[in-house]
Amino acid sequence: MPATRRLVLLVSAAAMGRAAAQVPAQDQPQDPGHAHGAPPPGEGQAATPRVRVPAPPDAYCYIGWPQDRQVISGTRFKVWFGTRNFGVAPAGVTTRNTGHHHLLINVPLPPLDKPIPNDRNHLHFGLGQTETMLELPPGTHTLQLLMGDADHVPHDPPVMSKRITITVRPGRPQAMASGPQ
Amino acid sequence: MTVSRLLVVLFAALLLAGPPASAQRRSMPEEARVYILWPYDGMAIRGGFWVRMGLSEGGIAPANVEKALTGHHHLLVDVDLPAMDKPIPNDRNHLHFGLGQTEARLELPPGRHTLQLLLGDADHVPHDPPLYSKRITITVLP
Repeated sequence: MPATRRLVLLVSAAAMGRAAAQVPAQDQPQDPGHAHGAPPPGEGQAATPRVRVPAPPDAYCYIGWPQDRQVISGTRFKVWFGTRNFGVAPAGVTTRNTGHHHLLINVPLPPLDKPIPNDRNHLHFGLGQTETMLELPPGTHTLQLLMGDADHVPHDPPVMSKRITITVRPGRPQAMASGPQ
Repeated sequence: MTVSRLLVVLFAALLLAGPPASAQRRSMPEEARVYILWPYDGMAIRGGFWVRMGLSEGGIAPANVEKALTGHHHLLVDVDLPAMDKPIPNDRNHLHFGLGQTEARLELPPGRHTLQLLLGDADHVPHDPPLYSKRITITVLP
């Protein structure tokens, strides 16, 4: 019963994600304050089984700046990538317990058993960058970090952040007030 | 006798001077910058805290990973900058983040402390020019 076993693994991965208190609200971008929605990893995953690189169950990402529900003046701003219990390495590097960041903009999580798409909604940071300058049009946007392994495939369990929602207002860029208040 | 001893001394002096070591130092992008995102300079903190390490315009790679324009963080606690042409010391005042970490949990005794980041290359040697943050001062409350 490989299919059943895979399902069990996925469910346990989701449970571990929940235990790490870092469950992305991927299905409810308008309700990001409540981290109750475990990722539904079962969908669209059965097609190409791939041995994903393992990650510690307590590893996760977070967006250190901006913060969830923040209103940002100016369409150009910095995003700082936080990584807990895990390391950063450039793409192609296979060091254990490392990965590189992908910033998902206004999209739900991609399939977790395939390389993360590379387009304007899925930004790759294959040099090992830990921050970026974003330019987004005024309006509401969602941001989420998802680590990829040397081949851009998410780890097992996936190392990712909560999906946050920000509002961009036109105006003069503000200085980055660093860190949590 | 004396001539051979002189040669030995000269050879040793050459080794100590070590010009090849500094010639091999790696570089980072010109506009790259290292900074401490958290805590702020002058902040008073109670208990343990997380230090968040920032790197602009460059990449993080674990120690021993050879990749251009990358390095890994070292956090200097209560200590001056070390020599820039040698591997950064590894002790309780020079914390290495060779896994590619970008944050660290610190527990420091009450009092004033300084924190400074210094990027090291695959071999823990600072880049040329070296990339280090401002040295900040924090106070840990009793």
